[in-house]
Amino acid sequence: MATTEATRTTTGSDHHPEIDWEAAERSPEFRELIRKKRSFVVPATVFFLAWYFGFVILAGYAPDFMGREFLTDGLTVGYVLALSQFVMTWALGAWYLRKADREFDPLAERAAQVALRRRDNGGTS
Amino acid sequence: MTPIAAVNGTALAVFGVIVAVTLVISWFASKRVNTATDFWAAGRGLTGPQNGFAIAGDYMSAASFLGIAGLIYLFGFDGFMYSVGFLVAFLTVLFLLAERMRNAGKYTIADVLSYRLKQEPARAAAALGTLTVVAFYLIAQMVGAGVLIEGLVEIDFSLAVLLTGAFMVSYIILGGMLATSWVQIIKAFLLMTAAVVMTIWVLAKVSWNPIDLFTEAEGKSAEGEAYLKPGLFLSSPLDTVSLGLGLVLGTAGLPHILMRFFTVPNAKAARSSVMWAMVLIGAFYVMTTALGFGARAILGQGGEEAAGATGNGALPLLADNLGGEFFQAIIAGVAFATILAVVAGLVISASGAVAHDVWSNIVRRGQDSESEEVWVAKIAAVVIGAVAIGIAILGGEGLNVSFMVGLAFAVAASANFPALLLALTWRRFNTAGAITGVLVGVISSVALVIISPTVWPGPDSEGGLISGYDLANPGIISIPLGFIGCWLGTMLTRERVEEFSFDELYVRSETGLGAEAGTGLTLTGRSDGSREADERELVGNR
Repeated sequence: MATTEATRTTTGSDHHPEIDWEAAERSPEFRELIRKKRSFVVPATVFFLAWYFGFVILAGYAPDFMGREFLTDGLTVGYVLALSQFVMTWALGAWYLRKADREFDPLAERAAQVALRRRDNGGTS
Repeated sequence: MTPIAAVNGTALAVFGVIVAVTLVISWFASKRVNTATDFWAAGRGLTGPQNGFAIAGDYMSAASFLGIAGLIYLFGFDGFMYSVGFLVAFLTVLFLLAERMRNAGKYTIADVLSYRLKQEPARAAAALGTLTVVAFYLIAQMVGAGVLIEGLVEIDFSLAVLLTGAFMVSYIILGGMLATSWVQIIKAFLLMTAAVVMTIWVLAKVSWNPIDLFTEAEGKSAEGEAYLKPGLFLSSPLDTVSLGLGLVLGTAGLPHILMRFFTVPNAKAARSSVMWAMVLIGAFYVMTTALGFGARAILGQGGEEAAGATGNGALPLLADNLGGEFFQAIIAGVAFATILAVVAGLVISASGAVAHDVWSNIVRRGQDSESEEVWVAKIAAVVIGAVAIGIAILGGEGLNVSFMVGLAFAVAASANFPALLLALTWRRFNTAGAITGVLVGVISSVALVIISPTVWPGPDSEGGLISGYDLANPGIISIPLGFIGCWLGTMLTRERVEEFSFDELYVRSETGLGAEAGTGLTLTGRSDGSREADERELVGNR
């Protein structure tokens, strides 16, 4: 194992010049990983920020609406919306984990393998 | 100051047990920590669930346990706004940073920030961001611990702070991140158990109907209907939004939380640890409803004076009301464990900035040995601990705990988060951008707080120092400024040849190719030879 030599330094994260990173970044496999990941993460981030700031802005600017009764006496619109943030966080988190396990990880693995094969073949793949 | 009565022998015993157990575990951990990777990152051998518990233990501070319950007790709905923000923040961490940090990092956030930038200046900037956040956060927790212990065990405030500081430094000196992880996991178990027990107890008192909790709380508040509405604590709408922004982006800039992602073997474990943390932290914050509104429903108006101006005493009072002095001592012990776990995490991240970033990589330029780095880290932990103890004792009980934690979040969101995110995702980003971003973020958030009405209260100052400026939370101004600083610094300069390419960082952070390997150390033992390394690691398996 090369572990000892590579990690027995006090510098930052190790660099690996033996890999052609530029080619790896341009490989269709890596591009596909980024595209797939982005098409989930960007809308999901926009959604959760919108849902959260919608709640925060309502709390700031419409306290009376937030204090309105929801279905039963004692339960307010504000509290229900607050609870919806918890549900949203767990649901989006679970959804992302599922996507990552099934979709992103295999793509990342493939992109990494392509880069390693190129290294082993001396720059051509 | 905390007005909880009587010398409490039971509390002293509970505190003693917690300290003894954690110190014994740290002592055992000390024998298994051999390398720098063991010391800083617990050998990268924690499982997802283990790290999830540790993150929960690292994150939920006294401000969460005593602070939020107190704010809800005093101000109703507004207190719960903190609970929501503190949880949703983990989506930012999960989507934007957790896996990338694991793949690209080594020991500190500076390792990620400086990966493709000029080592020394980029590291110095990251270390500055880390130390500023830790300073505010750490002093807040130390003061909280002092007040808690003074109130419950009747030890003098200074002595209480000194003891807390001594224990926190001991964990680090003995067992580094391995011991810290253990303390945090134990604390998470204790905290969750305490919250569940109290929630069930409170619900039993309102005949198991959570809705009655609200109606009774409302009935027993002098504010009446307004108690269940926003606006009692966060009276300015813009301030509410500013707070929300600081909370939701601040977590992704907290060095002690981000450092936890270096303790797992791969990106998959990193994201699963966030999910575990979200489940635990979310469940806890849902229960703050029962703790806070329950305190109001059960204690009524009568506890207000005893709970103190910040409400921190409300939860111990509620515990006393539910289960008497013995139960109150248990809850106080849990609060104490809560603080210990957080300060240990803070100190190890700060000692990382001093030993790994400043000493090894700037002063010694990577030429020192691993054992020297760990020695410097231990000395740094002692010095940081001593300074924090000193400031906490000098600033004393007058320092407002929630305010200091809020400031730490604001600095984290304005200085650390923009620079880290852009370093990982923006090709053009350069060293000058990182430095200006961090500096602008730190200076603007601290300066805006200094001129805020929180620091300049008074009858004639509706606004703070500068008339017309009345934001208590700087986030809405300082976070955009942090991003603008990064952008301007980058656009106004042109860096010559980059030593290492953005491509390397980009591909590595997204795929884990080339990510740092573990040492085989696990939380409970050592998996010799059969190290379950990430298949994509370059080191070791190819």
